[in-house]
Amino acid sequence: MILAVPECNVAEVTICAPANVNELFELPVRIGQINRTVLLIFLAAFIVMAVLYFAYRRPRLVPSKFQAAVDALVAFIRDEVAVGIIGPEGIKYAPYLLALFLFVLVGNLFEITPLVNFPITSRIALPAFLAILTWVVFVVAGIRKQGLAYFGHLLWPPGVPTALKPLVGVIELVSTLLVRPFSLAVRLFANLVAGHVMLVLLLVSGVAFIAAIPEVGAKGLFGFAWFGLGLAIWVFELLVTVLQAYIFTLLSAVYIQTSLHPEH
Amino acid sequence: MLFAQTLILAAEDKEGSGLDLLLPATNELIAGIIAFAIVFFFIRLWAWPAIERSLEQRQQAIAGQLEDAEKAKAEAESLLQDYKKQMEEARAKGAEIIEEARATAEKLKADILEKANAEASQIVAKAREEAEAERARVLAEARQEVANLSIDLAERVVGEALDRETQLGLVQRYLAELEQM
Repeated sequence: MILAVPECNVAEVTICAPANVNELFELPVRIGQINRTVLLIFLAAFIVMAVLYFAYRRPRLVPSKFQAAVDALVAFIRDEVAVGIIGPEGIKYAPYLLALFLFVLVGNLFEITPLVNFPITSRIALPAFLAILTWVVFVVAGIRKQGLAYFGHLLWPPGVPTALKPLVGVIELVSTLLVRPFSLAVRLFANLVAGHVMLVLLLVSGVAFIAAIPEVGAKGLFGFAWFGLGLAIWVFELLVTVLQAYIFTLLSAVYIQTSLHPEH
Repeated sequence: MLFAQTLILAAEDKEGSGLDLLLPATNELIAGIIAFAIVFFFIRLWAWPAIERSLEQRQQAIAGQLEDAEKAKAEAESLLQDYKKQMEEARAKGAEIIEEARATAEKLKADILEKANAEASQIVAKAREEAEAERARVLAEARQEVANLSIDLAERVVGEALDRETQLGLVQRYLAELEQM
């Protein structure tokens, strides 16, 4: 939410800039360490579990519509992502990937959920933690599969000429162990931040403009344009949130796959 | 104005630069770790086995149905074979019965014909016998008549009565001689 500079006068400055960008992400409700973001994080966990619980509480041979929908989602993660990307042994990682996908998806969808309107994945804590977790998972998978040879394969993919080994080694080390988790986290985080900022600014300034029409006159009609644009971006964000959850899960699977099969 | 200001909520006490956005807040990090751990273990320990179980059940059900269908098909096949065989047998039997009936009829016909022929010839023979007997009777009668006539004639010629008994015997003898010639 936009936080006001108390002396801001909408009649003069048209829109009140927040004191700094953090205020778009700091939520007002706060009890000790439990602010709205923390509550939403637990709400996301609860929603994921509730969806799975109601889908598989009494699984039926001929699934209900709800179970069929969840089935399709689960089958997609298991068959297309876990087994499709990693291979037959990917089934082991399917529960992790499913948890990742559903948790990030619900967290992302909070961005466009009316009355919530705040993606928990737009706080760096969550994407960073999940990216580091994926990092741990793929490094551990590599070590368990290949032993210490994993680090050799990690530094030098097969077929690298000896002369290039120092250079390639440094590039691979940085790209695999540093850039991967960083880009994974930042991609999700930045997409959701951008979406959230756009939605907040357009929808709230739209409403503010429209509400200010009696005071500022025709200038306030711009509010309809901002609000309309905000709604259009709201639809676009639906695509982005689902896509980013998918990309996060997919890349996690790809990283695990490269740990298990160094030849690729 | 008032509405715009209600949208615009009071700033928190924190003064910070935009960089804070890139640093994880400790409380959110801890909440995220706990929440994701709960989700992961819920899926790992409860949801995933349930998913696998439901999938397996469905697989088994489908396999069972396929098997049943296969069985039903085989049964139908064998039933059809049976019916065909029975049909074949019935047809053969029918043909046999018709053949038998034809043979019986043929035999019957032959029998009847034979019997009829025999009867006819019997009737003819009887008729012939009767005719023969009649002829013999007529002949005997005629002979008697001839003898009587001859005697009458002779009496008329002689002009007196002859010993009828003796003359009759004479005529008879003569006629018998004639017959033997």
